[in-house]
Amino acid sequence: MKKIESQRQCDSHSGTRGDKQELLLSRRAILKVTGVAVGAGLMSWGPFVHAKPSSLTVTCWGGAYEDAVRKAFAEPFAKEKGVDVVLVNSADLTRMKVQVQKKNVTWDVFDSIGPQIMAGSREQLWEPIDPSLVDPAGLVYKPGKDYVPTYFYAGGIAFDPKRFPAGKHPTNFKELWDVKAFPGRRGLRSRVSENLEMALLADGVPPEQLYPLDVERAFKALDRIKDHVRKWIETTPETVTLLANNELDFTYSYLSRVLPAQRAGQSVQISLAQTLNSFEYLAVPRHGRNTALAMEYVAFCMRPDRQAAFCEMVEFTPNTKAAMDLISASARERMPDMKDPNSIIIDDAWWGEHYESLQRRFTEWMLM
Amino acid sequence: MIHTLSPRVVAVLLLPFAALLVVFFLLPLGLVAWNSLYDQGWTLKGYEQVATSGLIHRVLLNTIEISALATFTSLVLGYAIALHLAAKPPARRAPYLAMVMLPFWTSILVKSFAFTVVLGDAGIVNQLLGWVTGGSWHLEMMFNRFGVVVGMTNYLLPFMVLPIMASLLNQNRNLYLAAEIMGAGPMRIFLRITLPLSLPGVYAGVLMCMTLSMGMYITPALLGGRRDMMLANLVDFYTRQTLDWNVASAIAIVLLAMSGVLLWILARVQSDRAGTMA
Repeated sequence: MKKIESQRQCDSHSGTRGDKQELLLSRRAILKVTGVAVGAGLMSWGPFVHAKPSSLTVTCWGGAYEDAVRKAFAEPFAKEKGVDVVLVNSADLTRMKVQVQKKNVTWDVFDSIGPQIMAGSREQLWEPIDPSLVDPAGLVYKPGKDYVPTYFYAGGIAFDPKRFPAGKHPTNFKELWDVKAFPGRRGLRSRVSENLEMALLADGVPPEQLYPLDVERAFKALDRIKDHVRKWIETTPETVTLLANNELDFTYSYLSRVLPAQRAGQSVQISLAQTLNSFEYLAVPRHGRNTALAMEYVAFCMRPDRQAAFCEMVEFTPNTKAAMDLISASARERMPDMKDPNSIIIDDAWWGEHYESLQRRFTEWMLM
Repeated sequence: MIHTLSPRVVAVLLLPFAALLVVFFLLPLGLVAWNSLYDQGWTLKGYEQVATSGLIHRVLLNTIEISALATFTSLVLGYAIALHLAAKPPARRAPYLAMVMLPFWTSILVKSFAFTVVLGDAGIVNQLLGWVTGGSWHLEMMFNRFGVVVGMTNYLLPFMVLPIMASLLNQNRNLYLAAEIMGAGPMRIFLRITLPLSLPGVYAGVLMCMTLSMGMYITPALLGGRRDMMLANLVDFYTRQTLDWNVASAIAIVLLAMSGVLLWILARVQSDRAGTMA
């Protein structure tokens, strides 16, 4: 025991000299780094920022979406205005709320989906939009008082065409609910929006009379499908992977998920015969440092040429109608036909008022 | 050779760690507690919702049930593994230990997806079953409680194995020898010596697993069915989707209180035992 102890001491002695030198060196290095970091921190701190903005920060979703946003919006805008546009990924509403509450806003433009934007609007996180900023007449879906819908993505019934060739799979929601004609394991999302719309359409409500949603009728219709749904899917990627793994037969999925999976060689297809179309929105948080520039960015994103450029690259459809004329025939082919009443637009403004209580009811319904 | 440090020196040495704990643990915790009581003025609205909402009750019950089940399976499997590991000479224990630790180092998301390959309809187990029985047998092992418990047990096992193994290795081998000399069989030795002496490790493991599983989120969401929702999912719902931090914080504090009570009970049991043994 003693021997071991003394040997250990020896070891530590022999190491001391070198260690000390290293320690000194690293201490100097640390001081240097800390100095730079503190300096940088001070510079980005409110009072030190110059009045003229030199950069604009926009939230984003990463991946192919980020690439398309950069090429279609961020880079051209940066060039035109002579400012930098920084894209920030994995931004969520919780952190946005904290920024606005603390009046220390680092994200100038918030890019998100309906439920998030509406919740933010309820919490008064967004700056009012000047009505002259975008012309509502030229849009598929009108802006709200503090948010602008930019482009939309289609959701529909996805399936594996190898296992379910034409005629064997449901193409619309009425058929998805028909478990006798189309037996198979179904996968729906675990959130209430989209599910209620599907249930009502399945129950025979004409698309143009969908809103305001008949909630009671929708839940009754959901009761019929409940036991045939194998998985209430939490994460969007699973709407495709569970098909590919042969764990589900028919899922509610999105064009923006199915087409990339197809390109990657997976046997998966989506029916566009009946689609639910959800909008992506831009909003400008209150207490921002670059509010005027942020508004210009929003208007820039709505320009027909920019919208066309963006939707050419990723699986979205432009909100600015004039953009459709600028889009190639091949890209137009994959977009849902908005003149068809079966291409339904999710009414996020309606959901904004009902989402919270209905999601709670839906969750309770799932647990029963 | 034992050095004793003066209390003052100890206090100074502990200062950085204490400061770290205050900044990164106590402060956020205090903020959550404050949020649960304050929403544009002092309020008990959050706790009222927790007390009256049928949804929260049901999910709370779910959480306790699933946590207890997962902890129990981890205990049964973990004890067996710990016994096996403790009996091995140290050199041969290392590779086994690495295998136990493997789930520690794998992302929980990746693991949950990997379980699809094993437990799914088209998974290994069901394919084997179908091949053996000619397609007549099929087990639903995913998107239900079974899947959740398997997934959680996989995650919890290291937390059970390590403390139990530590308490097994700490046991004085001479006790076994003495018992054997006195004519005790292996079963009797296990029941009268090994098991009682390993109980502190068991308590520590159970406590850790129970606390960890009460906060689980991704595993039940990915592997569970519609009835397997847990409290953490609700906290997420209130924090991120509805921005109702008051209710979210109240749920979090209730969860914390439950873990606290558990800790207290176990501490009591342990000290009682220590008392009777002395």
